[in-house]
Amino acid sequence: MEGKKVLMTGNQAIARGFYEAGGLVAASYPGSPAVEILESIKREYRQIYSEFSVNEKVALEVAMGASFAGARALASMKHVGVNIAMDPLMTFTQTKTAGGFVLVSGDDPGMASSQNEQDNRIIGKFANMAVLDPCDSQEAKDFTKISLELSETYGMPVMLRITSRLCHSRGIVELLDREEKPAEGFKPDKTNFNMIPPNTFKKQFEMKERLESLSKAAMDLGINRLEKGNGSEVLIITSGLVYNNLMELNLDMPVLKLGLVYPLPLDAIRSLASDYRRLIVIEEMSPFIENELKINGIECEGKSYFSFTGELGIEEIEAGLLRAGIFEESRYSGKMGEDKSVPPRLPLFCAGCPHRPVFDILKKSGRKVVGDIGCYSLAGIFPIEVLDTIISMGSSLGIIKGMAKAMKLSGKSEPLVAVIGDSTFFHSGMTGMVNMLHQIDPEDNMTIVILNNGTTAMTGGQHTASSGSYASEDDMHVDLEVLLRAMGFENVRSVDQFKYKEAKEAIDEEIKRPGLSIVIATRPCALRFKIREPHFYVDPNVCIACRNCIRTNCPPLRMKKYEGIEKLKSSINPEMCVGCSVCSQVCPVGAIKRADGEVE
Amino acid sequence: MMKAYNIMLAGVGGQGLVLTTSIICSAAFYAGYDVKSNDIIGLSQRGGKVWGSVRLGEKIYSPNIPPGDADFLVALEPLEADRWKGSLKKEGILIVNTGEIAPAHVAAEKAEYPADIIERLSTSYRLYAIDAASEGKKLGSAKVANLFLIGVLANHMEIPIEAWHAAIRENVPAGFIDMNIRAFDIGYEMHDQRE
Ligand code: SF4
Ligand code: SF4
Repeated sequence: MEGKKVLMTGNQAIARGFYEAGGLVAASYPGSPAVEILESIKREYRQIYSEFSVNEKVALEVAMGASFAGARALASMKHVGVNIAMDPLMTFTQTKTAGGFVLVSGDDPGMASSQNEQDNRIIGKFANMAVLDPCDSQEAKDFTKISLELSETYGMPVMLRITSRLCHSRGIVELLDREEKPAEGFKPDKTNFNMIPPNTFKKQFEMKERLESLSKAAMDLGINRLEKGNGSEVLIITSGLVYNNLMELNLDMPVLKLGLVYPLPLDAIRSLASDYRRLIVIEEMSPFIENELKINGIECEGKSYFSFTGELGIEEIEAGLLRAGIFEESRYSGKMGEDKSVPPRLPLFCAGCPHRPVFDILKKSGRKVVGDIGCYSLAGIFPIEVLDTIISMGSSLGIIKGMAKAMKLSGKSEPLVAVIGDSTFFHSGMTGMVNMLHQIDPEDNMTIVILNNGTTAMTGGQHTASSGSYASEDDMHVDLEVLLRAMGFENVRSVDQFKYKEAKEAIDEEIKRPGLSIVIATRPCALRFKIREPHFYVDPNVCIACRNCIRTNCPPLRMKKYEGIEKLKSSINPEMCVGCSVCSQVCPVGAIKRADGEVE
Repeated sequence: MMKAYNIMLAGVGGQGLVLTTSIICSAAFYAGYDVKSNDIIGLSQRGGKVWGSVRLGEKIYSPNIPPGDADFLVALEPLEADRWKGSLKKEGILIVNTGEIAPAHVAAEKAEYPADIIERLSTSYRLYAIDAASEGKKLGSAKVANLFLIGVLANHMEIPIEAWHAAIRENVPAGFIDMNIRAFDIGYEMHDQRE
């Protein structure tokens, strides 16, 4: 294996790095862009215990426990996942780590698949962790190993911060053998692991000191490097993928490429700065490095030339350097990549998706709907547009309650609906659900629809606590209905939303009923648990062009011109239809029929 | 000196863009190139617009292709070819699957699907249009559609055919290797007939 080269995505490279470093325990909650790290550990490296935990806080705790026991441990999550894990994280970073610990944060500049854009280098600093920022797959692997070493040398948890572009970018990686690192076992040390006063007082100094000594050593670790180019006018300081984008411009200029972005090697940069007239920092999202330099009295420029949001691609870097007056000629400015005049193409629910009939029913109900995070967040955008709020994982249940209370006090009560997926429910919806029982008013009319599709569909179908009821190979079998009844809820009912009429009656009835009702929609995800039924077709001679079927927004459905018929009539693309029958059930005249025929 | 190539890929979520990117990367890798690629995954996987890039050459830093710098645009759907045409160089080559997929705005009759994409683009670029799904069905499955396009692409690149075959073998499920290689070979030769 030693020395063999392969192609890997940044995510796969991190998994490999953890394996080579002798990692023993890895935990995560699925979230783009970092979900593939744990998936490849699960697939490729069976020596490692790995799990998709119920949420990021638990994942962090599992990895933390492993580190306490002396094992090299990894917790990976998307940037907003770190928010969920913040509580234990902030105290964990006070301890002196035993087994090497790395927290991988997948940041998402430009929000390719996230509800916000947050710069977790700031969280790393806030939590007193070192933060590493790799620039390609090879570095992603190397930096994972370096993170674990630094963690052990300095006794601190380390953050490996990656961006969505790097997570999914492929590059060549050199493989090395695994170095076994057996866990030494838990060595009790109450002054280190019992984080209550007076033990914690000393810790504040320890955290400060370990960061200072790392800052001093930073230039000798081989992860920050100065690339000498021509001239003493400008020194560019950058890190991560931005460095690679900059290199594509082929400038003959000195560049300080940082691998460790916190703590910065301040002394080294200060002495370098005296050799140049200007320091220009190029970084994505917040002016993190720039601010670090400035608050430490090192003069530099940065965000005045570069966007504070989104990615900095090759052309954006060129444009920024142009604004900074570094050079005059532009290769890319004025060129257009994506043609914005072409009709947009937004993501939509899959053919046969069990969410579609539920949202069709809710749309027809005309009620305000509190949304949550998951595939079903797509009901917030065109063409369904039925969700009125989307904030964060599990927040719908708290929000609907607050909304109902406020509306009641203002004399504006109306029935409200919230939707939440099963994975999200277990992730952080459960506490909000329990809270529903507290000061509940039988008059507050709230209907909660739990979209129990048996999977974490948004990120590609990882398991949830209730997947066991759909997939026998899954080891968790939490029955939602039993759980909710045990919590103390009475109005709980399950519906099969592919029986459209019955489901509609049930949901409408619950919306009408005063008090809190819970409806569990039970159909599994169409992507993970494929439906294989003969497809449906439209008889254009029966179709009255009412577009009821079209409004369910199933991808195979489209109005089209038939030979010899003047008006547009509905049609179904047989290649795409999976035969769920929902469109045929909403058609008022029975124009949509099942084809007798082969199931592909 | 190895010839460097920038390949832009575009399609609709669910069309197998990740696999396509992966095959091109592997072929370049087997042929000894430095290679980097991008995939957009996440939310857009569900029927949204997806795009990716592959860059190969002696030394590649960034996986990104700036606008107007792509040698090839491989579009799995015509509307997506139209959307990303600006990524191509003036003398760039456009390889398009002609099977249309209507976006939600078209299905909801809020936007028109442009009727003349292929003709329009063929006046500005060297264009190869293939009804890949129908071709695929002749071989037994529409799922091999993208391999025809990769075949056409391969014919324009200095990568030995063995490297392509090895890349296909590495990336597609074991039971489908032969069908995929056949589709690739047909695409590879299709180009010669059109010259
Ligand atoms: S039966 Fe209708 S709703 Fe179901 S997948 Fe086919 S076209 Fe879509
Ligand atoms: S619901 Fe029935 S009648 Fe209405 S457009 Fe669709 S097929 Fe035609």
